[in-house]
Amino acid sequence: MEKPRSSPFLKIFLCGLLGGFVIFAIAAYAMTVSDSRPFCTTCHLMTEAGVTHKLSTHADLSCNECHAPHNLLAKIPFKAKEAIRDVVYNVQGADLPLGPNSVTREVVNANCIACHARTNVDVASMNVKPYCVDCHRNVAHMRHKPVSTRMVAYD
Amino acid sequence: MTSKIFKSTVLLGLGLSLTLVGGCNDVSTELKAPVYSTSIKEDSTRISDFKKDFPLQYASYMKNNESEVMTEYKGSVNFRKNDNVNPLPKGWKHAQPYLKNLWLGYPFMYEYNEARGHTYANKDFLEIDRINRYAEKGGLPATCWNCKTPKMMTWIAEYGDSFWSKDVNLFRTRDAIDEKDETIGCANCHDPKTMELRPYSEPLKDWLKRSGKDWNTLSRNEKRSLVCAQCHVEYYFTHKDNGPAARPVFPWDKGFGPEDIYQYYTEHGARDASGKQTPFFDWVHAASGVKMIKMQHPEYETFVDGPHGAAGVSCADCHMPYQRVDGKKVSSHWMTSPLKDPELRACRQCHADKTADFLRERVLYIQNRSFAQLLKAQEASVRAHEAVRLANEYIASHPDALNAEYEKLMAQARDLVRKGQIFWDYVSAENSVGFHNPTKTLDTLMSSYEFSQQAVELAEQATNYAISPALAGDIKTIVPPILEHSRKLQQDPAHLQTNPWLKLLPVLPPADQVWKEQEKVAAR
Repeated sequence: MEKPRSSPFLKIFLCGLLGGFVIFAIAAYAMTVSDSRPFCTTCHLMTEAGVTHKLSTHADLSCNECHAPHNLLAKIPFKAKEAIRDVVYNVQGADLPLGPNSVTREVVNANCIACHARTNVDVASMNVKPYCVDCHRNVAHMRHKPVSTRMVAYD
Repeated sequence: MTSKIFKSTVLLGLGLSLTLVGGCNDVSTELKAPVYSTSIKEDSTRISDFKKDFPLQYASYMKNNESEVMTEYKGSVNFRKNDNVNPLPKGWKHAQPYLKNLWLGYPFMYEYNEARGHTYANKDFLEIDRINRYAEKGGLPATCWNCKTPKMMTWIAEYGDSFWSKDVNLFRTRDAIDEKDETIGCANCHDPKTMELRPYSEPLKDWLKRSGKDWNTLSRNEKRSLVCAQCHVEYYFTHKDNGPAARPVFPWDKGFGPEDIYQYYTEHGARDASGKQTPFFDWVHAASGVKMIKMQHPEYETFVDGPHGAAGVSCADCHMPYQRVDGKKVSSHWMTSPLKDPELRACRQCHADKTADFLRERVLYIQNRSFAQLLKAQEASVRAHEAVRLANEYIASHPDALNAEYEKLMAQARDLVRKGQIFWDYVSAENSVGFHNPTKTLDTLMSSYEFSQQAVELAEQATNYAISPALAGDIKTIVPPILEHSRKLQQDPAHLQTNPWLKLLPVLPPADQVWKEQEKVAAR
């Protein structure tokens, strides 16, 4: 009473496995692409951030190396939440954004530490200023450079 | 059923990847400003010509009509800048009470008001008492139109260098200019065909040439200040000995500071018998007889080496911030006090980590101190004029009881009166009350005070201190500020008796007003 090799159960199982693998691969790829500058600057509202990023020392890192948690369990809901807010904001056509909110500040700052912890291991550099960019100010998208080096109209 | 699931999975994946691939073009760091190809006439001088193609910028520009809001020191109510007695709209708590005294004998003693939106440039020009409206001729050169209208391009094309020295009133009628539609507008800064930034200004183009600069090779950043520097600068009118009479010149060849400009004006006046240029002067002060220089709104010269200017921040960065209107990002064309915005958004494009309140306090920190010192420097300057005036009188009546070197001492004193006034006027005429360049402002005022003080001492010495008792005490008692004066009032001998310095002015012949804005109200 052996089952035939080509039983529908195995077919379904293999299909499911393949499907799962494809979905996982797409999801992984999508997560990476949607971390990146070309994706973020699809909305022209982000051009200033994109231009100053590309001109900066951090140009070869993705936007979300700084702007989302590195931990995947925290990252997925964070990205979903931020994306919804950004889409709503953009559709509303509100005035120019004025820097990151406090949640993003914390996330960015944690990511400064994630990469640059070794540099700061012997100093109490987190004790005086709340954020690293309070000293490393132009890491915050070259905010102190003349406007014409960062923006043009109709972006 | 299996294939259905499979199909929808593939479809979903495909859709998702398409979305992702859609965003695969990286940004360009070239930052190309948009260029247009319009059907507007190349030589258009009318603001309304631009309305249809550029409704957002047009609407934003029309906000310049707001003329009600005051900030602490500045704002858009055109109050009289010497009047700290009357309430708005005539006077304001922060006014400079000695202005009419310090400009005695010069048209600025008749009327000088707080500046307001570009849209009022022609209207205010046609109503100002500095231009004579009690005669056919205004008594001032047509050069006065230079920074008021894009019509300048038409007039210069028509008349060339003979335009400048024509009488200003030749161009005030309706057939010469449309007051509202041809006030400072689009064509003053934009090429109507491409809307690229371009200079219309003859004196700025002259300076670019003199300093070896080519507009087409300048950066967008420089242009975002230079379009303003077409007008927001100190200038003078060429003396006929040195070129086309009354052609405007920016006196920048030795630099932008007050000392550089003072040095520049030691030349460029009429030529003497040997062909050498004498010191330039705008007028002879009616009390002290000193040959004076008038400073006019040196915004560019002040700001260019200040904390913002030296760092490459442009005028437009703070005065024309980007804003999103109808979902489109455009430069604000409401050129006004950035302090009117409660959120100070213009500042916070850079100072994103600061609150509006903090930033406003920092501006006031500078302005409070600058304005207080400005008033003191002006008082010192009045005392210096009075000292030279008293010395002149004393020397005339006591030829025997003088210091042996009085001629030399008086020459120095007069020069220091002139220099002291150039210095405070450099700050006074500038419209940021110190903010555009705090250090230069306070340094200039301190120097001004010092020069005026030295002038007093030298004049005293020249008379062997005979005039010293008359100069002791509160200057406001010795020489009271002149609150009211105008061309009409100067026709009234009784008015000229109301202030010791007004007595020094000639009575003007009685005359009715000939011009009311663009209208001729009396035929003469």
